[in-house]
Amino acid sequence: MRETAVSSAKPQVDAGRQGRDGLFGRERVSRFFPVFLLVALAVAFSLTFARFLQFNNLMIVAQQAVVLLVAALGMTFVVIAGSIDLSVGAIVAIAALLAAKTSGSIGVLAILPACAVGVLCGLINGVIVAKGKVPSFIVTLGAMVVFRGIVLYFTRGAPISIENEAFLDVYSGRTAGISNSVLITIVLVGVAAFMLNPTVFGREVRAIGGGERIAHLSGIRVDRVKILIFVLSGLLCGMAGLLQGARAMAATAQLGEGLELDAIAAVVVGGTPLTGGVGSIQGTILGALIITILSNGMNIIGLDPYFQNIVKGLVLVLSVFITIDREKIGIIK
Amino acid sequence: MSLTRADLAGTQLRIVAEELSRSFGNTLALSGVSIALDPGKVHALVGENGAGKSTLLKILAGAERPDSGWMALDSEPYAPKSVTEATRRGVGLVFQEMTINPSLTVAENIFAGRLARFRRRGLLSRGELNRAAQALLDSFSAEISVSQPLSRLDLGQWKCLEVARALAASPRAVLFDESTAFLNHREVDIVLEAMRALKRRGLVVAFVSHHLAEVGAVAAAITILKDGRKVGDYEAHELNREQIQSLMVGRDLSRGLFPPHLMGFADIADDHVRPSSLTLRGGEIVGIAGLKEAGGQRILEIAAGVTPPRGGEMRLSGAPFRPRIPAEAWAKGVAYLPGDRTGEGLIVGASVLDNLTMARPPRRGPLFDQAQARKLSAALIRRLSIKTKGPQTRAGALSGGNLQKVVLGKCLAVDPRVLLLNNPTRGVDVGARAEIYRSLREAADRGLGVLIASEDLNELIGLSDRILIMRAGRIVASIDDPASASEDAIIRHMT
Repeated sequence: MRETAVSSAKPQVDAGRQGRDGLFGRERVSRFFPVFLLVALAVAFSLTFARFLQFNNLMIVAQQAVVLLVAALGMTFVVIAGSIDLSVGAIVAIAALLAAKTSGSIGVLAILPACAVGVLCGLINGVIVAKGKVPSFIVTLGAMVVFRGIVLYFTRGAPISIENEAFLDVYSGRTAGISNSVLITIVLVGVAAFMLNPTVFGREVRAIGGGERIAHLSGIRVDRVKILIFVLSGLLCGMAGLLQGARAMAATAQLGEGLELDAIAAVVVGGTPLTGGVGSIQGTILGALIITILSNGMNIIGLDPYFQNIVKGLVLVLSVFITIDREKIGIIK
Repeated sequence: MSLTRADLAGTQLRIVAEELSRSFGNTLALSGVSIALDPGKVHALVGENGAGKSTLLKILAGAERPDSGWMALDSEPYAPKSVTEATRRGVGLVFQEMTINPSLTVAENIFAGRLARFRRRGLLSRGELNRAAQALLDSFSAEISVSQPLSRLDLGQWKCLEVARALAASPRAVLFDESTAFLNHREVDIVLEAMRALKRRGLVVAFVSHHLAEVGAVAAAITILKDGRKVGDYEAHELNREQIQSLMVGRDLSRGLFPPHLMGFADIADDHVRPSSLTLRGGEIVGIAGLKEAGGQRILEIAAGVTPPRGGEMRLSGAPFRPRIPAEAWAKGVAYLPGDRTGEGLIVGASVLDNLTMARPPRRGPLFDQAQARKLSAALIRRLSIKTKGPQTRAGALSGGNLQKVVLGKCLAVDPRVLLLNNPTRGVDVGARAEIYRSLREAADRGLGVLIASEDLNELIGLSDRILIMRAGRIVASIDDPASASEDAIIRHMT
């Protein structure tokens, strides 16, 4: 009530504001493109295949989307801060394996080692990026190879199955007809949105992406914030690994391969440009759904798997073409 | 020699004020001050900050009204309710702030509000307007032509346009409120020359000034105020500068005008700075002059925690101060305005509010306090007269001068103890520059220490209380009275 009174009293301020949160106003086109794309895909697939919009298929889509979405939530922070994290797929694999390995003895509590290893991997990435002043692309590219190597070294490539009933019940069961993994993801989305929007931390993340040197000279503890961002990304990868393991009832050494690229694609398709400084969790949700629905729909209509890759790549480039802030080209990291 | 009405803009008059008092809230700004201003004489009102000199002048000019006391023009009672009324009675005011409108011409500024006088058959007669403006300018030997564009004139000449505007009302007295603040010595000379010309025409001329050199140069009579009370009226030849100073302060000057050192540097050194020592006191603006690589900017960076020094020691309010990153300097109230506005100072893609609150975001726990941020931004936008549609406007939409005000606002938002400024008005237009200078002087008057490295010598001369000159990483000279320093002398030290 009070809020509406304030905003209606100051129309001239509203005329000058562009984004709802007041930060880095974006053009309408790039803001609404992801929504438009999602609706267009849903309509197109349901027209060609009636089963697409059925509850069962939608639940499958949601379950397929959660692992990607959870990993992409962390990636959203990383990308808004102007960095990149290529190691998410490998961290997801480490976390899934650790969860699988420990679930036999500690059951539901396997969430703890999974998250802990995610935090540790993120901390290593963050410290090398922030304190060592090495570009995040290089650090996380190396980390991707190292982490995947660790997984292969310890498992020798053999899958580990998960048989603990309590673990599977909690992390892949259903509550009131809705998959627990979806409910957990909704909570994580809420936490991520809270961290990015009304907090000082969220503003610092945007400021660093908007101009790292400016943020540094303005008294923002850039190193600390960057380490926190990579830790957050690692933690969310730990959760993604847990959910992925529970859904497959096993962890394999190949798990999460290529996930980093899908996560980046989800973030970017959702309207968060790789140039940093701007972006939203809502966009990433849309992006993850678009990527998942694209795969799901193309599978349902029986499109050649090799051709599917071509379509996915084109959608990615098209999205960036539409949403990128061209004033900042040249500082893409 | 008898003067007729035609010789003068008006008849001579004498302004008398008795027992003027004025308080603002609990502060007694002026307490029972009496003064008489004679025609044909330049009268200086001097005193420390807060002594009441500006309040007194504003009451005389109708800009403030006294709580008690009375005034008279010759024998007529005089109680102006506004500057307009005072002007009608023949008492004109030249403001401290720049009030020139850059989008008007020279002549339009001078006759602002009186243009109807030049209406001929419904149209403005440019020829008559320009001739009248030129006549006014020539009457006090301001070497300004009405055909010059405003952007070509310096701040001193802008001030002269304000003098001419006051003269357009055919006043019998002209009062100057700190009109030479922020002018360099050449510009100050122009204004002082204008005062002399008005005096020769038999007008009452009174001015408020911080610079005793100016007082010595033009004033015949001096009134010294302290803490809202009059210390005394003096003939200029009775007192030398030191005597004026100790009467203003009311104590022995050997202990210094300012509180003890706010910030000290002892033998600070790095690759570009040879061991250098300097001090900054609260309330003081210190300028560092020098060529580009002479070391002034480097000293600012060291103090701001951007590049830690190789050796030496810094102290802040007596405590050791050694910031390793800018965040540690900001946390202690040391604010830094870097030299590159858009690359270092602010994020052009973010809003004005985002930038103003970047260094110290208002917070409630982990949350960003939007309401507080809006209030803070609105206050800073008003205080620095930042021209923006609103706090949510993208900073990139602002002009260079306004962008710089946003960066300065970001510094002031943390309520700093020390301001470190690297070329604060580089690429800033003349109007915004005057506003930035005014804000800096206000900040210093509230007790901040301001350290400025600038490549603009005029700026340093006009603004600084003290200038340090650096050459090849060393401090080679210190100038304690910049108002009377010449550019040439400083340049000789620099090279």
